[in-house]
Amino acid sequence: MASSVGTAHQRLGASHAPPLRRLFRQLREPGGVEIFIGGGILAVLVIATVLAPLLVSQDPNAIDALRVLGPPNHAHPFGSDAEGRDVLVRILYSYRVSLSVAVGSTLAAMALSVPLGLLAGYAGGWTDTLLMRPVDSLQAFPALLLAIALIAIIGPGSIVVLLSIAIVHSPILARVIRASVLITREQPYVISARARGRSALGIMFLHVLPNSLGPTLAQASILTAFAIQFQAALSFVGLGTQPPTPELGLMLYDGRDVFTIAPWVEIYPGLALAIAALGFILLGNGISRRLEAGRQR
Amino acid sequence: MSTRVGFVLRRVLLTIPVLFAMSIFVFLMIRLVPGDPVQTMLGIYATPDRVATIRSELGFDRPLTDQYLMWIGNALHGNLGQDFISHVPLTDLLAQRLPVTLELTALSMILALGLGIPLGVVGAVGPRWAVVFADLLVVGGVSIPSFWLGIMLVLLFAGVLHVLPPAGYVPITTDVLENLRYMILPVLALGAAQLVYILRTTKAAMLTVLGSPYVIFLRAKGISERRIVFVHALRNAAIPIVTVVGIQFGALLGGAIIIESLFAVPGVGQLVVNAIFQRNYPVVQGGVLVIAVIFILVNLTTDLIYGALDPRISGTS
Amino acid sequence: MSASLLEIRDVSVSFLSDGGFVSAVSNVTLDVAAGEIIGIVGESGCGKTTLAMAVMGLLPSSARIEGEIWFRGTNLFGLSESERRKFRGEQIAMVFQDPLSSLDPSFSVGSQVAETIRTHRRLRRGDARRQALGLLREVGIPSADVRFDDPPHKFSGGMRQRVVIAASIANDPALLLADEPTTALDVTIQAQILVLLRDLATRHNTTIILIAHDFGVVAELCDRVAVMYAGQLIEVAPVANIFEHPLHPYTKALLAAMPSVERPPGTLQVIQGQVPDLSAPPPGCRFAPRCAYRMDQCQETPISVTESPGHEVACWLYPPGMPPVDQTTG
Repeated sequence: MASSVGTAHQRLGASHAPPLRRLFRQLREPGGVEIFIGGGILAVLVIATVLAPLLVSQDPNAIDALRVLGPPNHAHPFGSDAEGRDVLVRILYSYRVSLSVAVGSTLAAMALSVPLGLLAGYAGGWTDTLLMRPVDSLQAFPALLLAIALIAIIGPGSIVVLLSIAIVHSPILARVIRASVLITREQPYVISARARGRSALGIMFLHVLPNSLGPTLAQASILTAFAIQFQAALSFVGLGTQPPTPELGLMLYDGRDVFTIAPWVEIYPGLALAIAALGFILLGNGISRRLEAGRQR
Repeated sequence: MSTRVGFVLRRVLLTIPVLFAMSIFVFLMIRLVPGDPVQTMLGIYATPDRVATIRSELGFDRPLTDQYLMWIGNALHGNLGQDFISHVPLTDLLAQRLPVTLELTALSMILALGLGIPLGVVGAVGPRWAVVFADLLVVGGVSIPSFWLGIMLVLLFAGVLHVLPPAGYVPITTDVLENLRYMILPVLALGAAQLVYILRTTKAAMLTVLGSPYVIFLRAKGISERRIVFVHALRNAAIPIVTVVGIQFGALLGGAIIIESLFAVPGVGQLVVNAIFQRNYPVVQGGVLVIAVIFILVNLTTDLIYGALDPRISGTS
Repeated sequence: MSASLLEIRDVSVSFLSDGGFVSAVSNVTLDVAAGEIIGIVGESGCGKTTLAMAVMGLLPSSARIEGEIWFRGTNLFGLSESERRKFRGEQIAMVFQDPLSSLDPSFSVGSQVAETIRTHRRLRRGDARRQALGLLREVGIPSADVRFDDPPHKFSGGMRQRVVIAASIANDPALLLADEPTTALDVTIQAQILVLLRDLATRHNTTIILIAHDFGVVAELCDRVAVMYAGQLIEVAPVANIFEHPLHPYTKALLAAMPSVERPPGTLQVIQGQVPDLSAPPPGCRFAPRCAYRMDQCQETPISVTESPGHEVACWLYPPGMPPVDQTTG
């Protein structure tokens, strides 16, 4: 039989430990490593992206005719592409587009799905069926096809891509938050809030929502990883971000023709995509693992 | 067994409104184009006369419901209109291109299942290094975009090793071996992404099942670990695996569209993408419709398979 | 006296967990005679299930096991896993508490019984099916030939437990371990299952170890009873003796705590204190901290003493060498 007294002692002791010790303890918790690495990667990327103009003085579209397809060297750590543009600088600026579209799509999806899922889960009954039926049928559609259909109508561009991805991801998030709400609303603190006469709206926002967000955030993080690849794929086939805006998918398209003689033009943007996606996935997985462990306790 | 028949019937009947709703959506797609679709299609060739002619030709001047009924009626008779630019009947185009896409997706799925399930089982019950390897594969595989993987594969096998062609397609009717040679890289690129999901689901499902209480009783009966893994665990894990295959199929189709463009494989995906650039709306419409129908039918099939596997619905195995 | 079928010799089991080693079973020595029905009684967590799992060899790899278990002249702990497996389901079988979680939901009940048969004997499918069908009838499944192919979820709890029992006795095991087989079932069904077990035992001459947490179940079925507390075996006696002359203070307290119709309301006795933390168990007798009769001596593990034929107790109230307690006063 496990010692509950012992564990409590451990926990009490933990809050008095120095910050570094506390950090290490957090790392050892389930999911800790993933959150740390994923979050770390993202933090670095975001900082590099935001500070891009400060870090590099070059214009991403600046053409250096002498350095067309130049291999990586001091001046151009990732080499230069077919137009003589610095690959590293382009990647940094591309991240701005890629990350903002991806994160933007997730935020938009959450704005759509969270109220929907919250209401459907909390109200239940007819409201639930009414709200979730169309959501389910939307989910039945292959994501890329929906995006392509929308783009066919509206025309290509970053914003369209953002909206398409948001629409495609909303059903998934709505389901996740609805499932979370279904569990949360049976919790003792919610029932007692109801018994105390709190308004439904109040309960939803004060009690149910904060406690249901965990799994939703984990899923949102993973969906953002997909969004990054999604929008790169759409840009790759020409349906997304339009040139000359630098974007990772576009860079991959450009790099195709020259990869036998200048592989760095193709490899680095791809790695950049993979690393960004990796960051979000690790973060999402870490949050999931942490939530699971918390639930088992 | 009435539950089984009832289940199948219900699933099939439910599919019909979905097909219907989807057809309406695809139909409306073109009509939602901002501005005048006909004018957009004609582009620089748009003169008021031409616009009027084309508009009545395509039936844009009729009431919406009439248009829809016309379109659906035609579609059900096998007439999906024509390619706006080349005037080739759409059904001919699709007949050419559909088998290509189907071959690509089928082979990719076979690869994904053929490797993903065994690797998933290994990841669940295998030695420690195999488990770690499987985990890393999953995390890496999900992050790497499939088209970048495709490009890297081309770089390696076509660019450096010169053993495989970088792009293109040879019909299977012409030469089976050549066809496969051209398909290897696209299938690898497309299948690898799916493989990772199937691996992950298989591993998770196997672990869940092997942690189930009834496994203890199986051991108490003296049943070998091998039988427990390959007969009992796999059978119970099949349900979530089939579910994920169904969900992944949508991603597979989407990925196929991208891979087709990348490898210049003349499938329906490439057709649709090119048509979008050309503002060739009838083709976009027909192509999207066909892809969506395939998707819905495959979903129906996976649902039925799922029903056959789940003892609560079907009876027993 | 029949020869011992099972000899548990000074067996201890501990598990590695977050808080250190948890001593789940501590120096248990017990002989089980062929053909008898012996009950093991104790509160949750007293180690009775762990002991049974040790006999079966189903403990997780994180378990540390000491001692020996002899079955029909073979030391089970000296066997490899594959050798051990040959015993399971054939000579030694086990029935668990929750029948729903014992059966694979994706396979028919009949096939799961037949599977046990074919695991240990080379039989054709048809023959195994026939035998399995017979077993299902024997345990009382109505319309067995039709229901043979039904999945477990189509059966009630009691019926499922019958299937589980059928699968366990399929190969005519010499020893059947039944871990609280009726706890998860309705009261009315409980009696049926116990009767079934007894009938089967008589008919097949099976030795049964029945694990329970209350004496009522044990009284129904058992010839002898062993009482465990916090991993230690504290008393063993024939059923009648245990009820009429319990010796160990814990046994007395346990009996006194049993609700019964005869007892006047309001006299339900509660045992003071709590079960010890098994990652840091008290030295010696583990019941001592809660015992009304504790002495300093109790810090040493009591030695088991035979107070009367078949009645052993491990308690310093009955030290070795002392003349047997007068059973009439208790």
